[in-house]
Amino acid sequence: MASLISHIISGALVGLLYALIAMGFVIIYRSAKVFNLAQGEVVVVGAFLLWTFAQPLGLPMWLSLVLAFLASLILGLLIERIILRPLVGEELFALVMVTIGLMVFLRGLSLVLWGAEVHFIPPIFSMKGVKIGPIMLDRGLLIGAGMTVLVALFFSWFFNKTRLGLEMTAVAEDHQIALSLGLKVKRSIAVAWAISGVLCTLAALIFLSGKGMTFLVADIGLAALPVALLAGLESIGGLILAGLLIGISIGLAEHFLDPLFQGGVAAVFPFIIMIIVLLIRPSGLFGWRTIERI
Amino acid sequence: MTLPAGVYAQTYDEDQALIRTTPQWVWLIAFLIFLFALPLFGGGRIVGIMNVIGITVIAVVGLQINAGYAGQINIGQSAFMGVGAYAAGALTLHFNLPIWITIPMAGVAAALFGSVFGVAAVRIKGFYLALTTIAAQFVFSFAMIKLPKAWFGQAEGLRLNPVSIFGFEFDTDKRIYYLIMVIAVIMIYGAWGLIRSRTGRALVAVRDNDNAAEIIGIDVFLYKSLSFFIGAFYAGVAGALWGYYVRYIQADQFTLWLSVWYLGMLIVGGMGSILGAIIGTVVIRILQEMITFLGPQLADIELIAGVGGEIIFASMNMLLGGIIILFVIFEPRGLVHRWNIIKESFRIWPFPH
Repeated sequence: MASLISHIISGALVGLLYALIAMGFVIIYRSAKVFNLAQGEVVVVGAFLLWTFAQPLGLPMWLSLVLAFLASLILGLLIERIILRPLVGEELFALVMVTIGLMVFLRGLSLVLWGAEVHFIPPIFSMKGVKIGPIMLDRGLLIGAGMTVLVALFFSWFFNKTRLGLEMTAVAEDHQIALSLGLKVKRSIAVAWAISGVLCTLAALIFLSGKGMTFLVADIGLAALPVALLAGLESIGGLILAGLLIGISIGLAEHFLDPLFQGGVAAVFPFIIMIIVLLIRPSGLFGWRTIERI
Repeated sequence: MTLPAGVYAQTYDEDQALIRTTPQWVWLIAFLIFLFALPLFGGGRIVGIMNVIGITVIAVVGLQINAGYAGQINIGQSAFMGVGAYAAGALTLHFNLPIWITIPMAGVAAALFGSVFGVAAVRIKGFYLALTTIAAQFVFSFAMIKLPKAWFGQAEGLRLNPVSIFGFEFDTDKRIYYLIMVIAVIMIYGAWGLIRSRTGRALVAVRDNDNAAEIIGIDVFLYKSLSFFIGAFYAGVAGALWGYYVRYIQADQFTLWLSVWYLGMLIVGGMGSILGAIIGTVVIRILQEMITFLGPQLADIELIAGVGGEIIFASMNMLLGGIIILFVIFEPRGLVHRWNIIKESFRIWPFPH
């Protein structure tokens, strides 16, 4: 029983981490109508930057954190300016392909810059597990889950209450109408990319604090896909629910199905849930339903 | 598309012909003779490269029908290829069927797996569909490693003996070259015919606007599923040939990155053109070979020495990613567009238009 509960709780925490990464997808998609498949690679670059500032350069932790956040913000802006700005208004295939290209390119680049060996990210918070009754939990994931909820609340508020956020929501609705109403579409898109870059580094920080990493960590971007699609690509609050849903079903799958299949179910189960849900609700649980016109 | 001066059709059959002029026939036949004579004078390495190109061309042409003509973005082509490889391998190992049965059946097995996503494509569109096809990759890897060992050998994969047809054993690179090339030529010819038919035009209509296509009477459900069915069939055949060529089938050979390479080949060659798929495959393959060849030299450069043995992998990735980004931004219609411009200006020379 304790094993079941601990599977469910740690699954839920992992799900919330995925939700944090998926938030990067959603914020970009809302504004730019681009699904940035390279999100996992941006997480890796963020983590490597943090490592570079903290280890070889030997800066104090708080300074390396600030610098890593700044650098990932700039990375987001650069990607938008160099690669996606020329493609505004292009067809879907071009947008999918360019982010795939970016994904592959960043993978190669991080390998060239930082090599293939394991890098240890210095611990940012205590590594001791948190013990609740008989259940041991990963402290980093626990802090991360809390942070995800806070960030989601913040962005729900941001997109619904502040002027810039409302502008970005309007841009998400329709680029041309937003432009004709005098909103700064380009600025909204750039802000979205910057935010998403920062979120990636935040996720890297939570996920990798005190752990060893290689460029293969980027696969977490793919693992977060089902959460983003399940929530629908426009909903921030829905991500929390989708993250919990996916996370808990991963936990359940680990508990009940792994013994049957000798492990490995957790990697594929979210995708199966995702396909089933998408077949019933093609734009996810909370995505905007668009009316198609000819 | 203009024809050379003085070439015009007098009958419907002539108008429909794939090959219209005598020089075209001459070039085609010369090319085919060259293709089939290559192993006689080419070195083993060249034949090996050509084998991989032949197999890849089949998979990429299938992807072209699926993604380029029908507009259904598919990031799972290598999973479909893997299904074909496993199907062919298992049929050969367990039932000892001849290859003229196993290769089509491998295609059908992959096509059935692909159709699942085709059916999904009717409801799931755009980004959601592209990302759903990634799921094919995860489902495939999981299934092949977890299904009973007696079927697909789990993590160890399948090992095959050389296959044969009418007593001709495909046990060397040069021998299997003929099998691959014959099938590649048939499949490319089939694709060329398909896209000129009603089916091909219906696929293009679905790509351009599926709602409009439905209103003018095209069965969108049928054609979306069909595009995945055909695309995955090509992948399955390619997978079967891969299995017979390498004689060792393992789930790790069919990764998401292979699918990405295939999409890159489409982008480089040009979307919506069979010739584009072929050009893209050949160009990217040759670039890959060059990097594999130059990689060790690159590793000697002091600046990037820390990368060591990973340099080939890293530079391949940077090359592929860079090429995809540059082509999408600067030449979205691919190399085939350039080729058509050259051909066109050659035909109307000395006039400017």
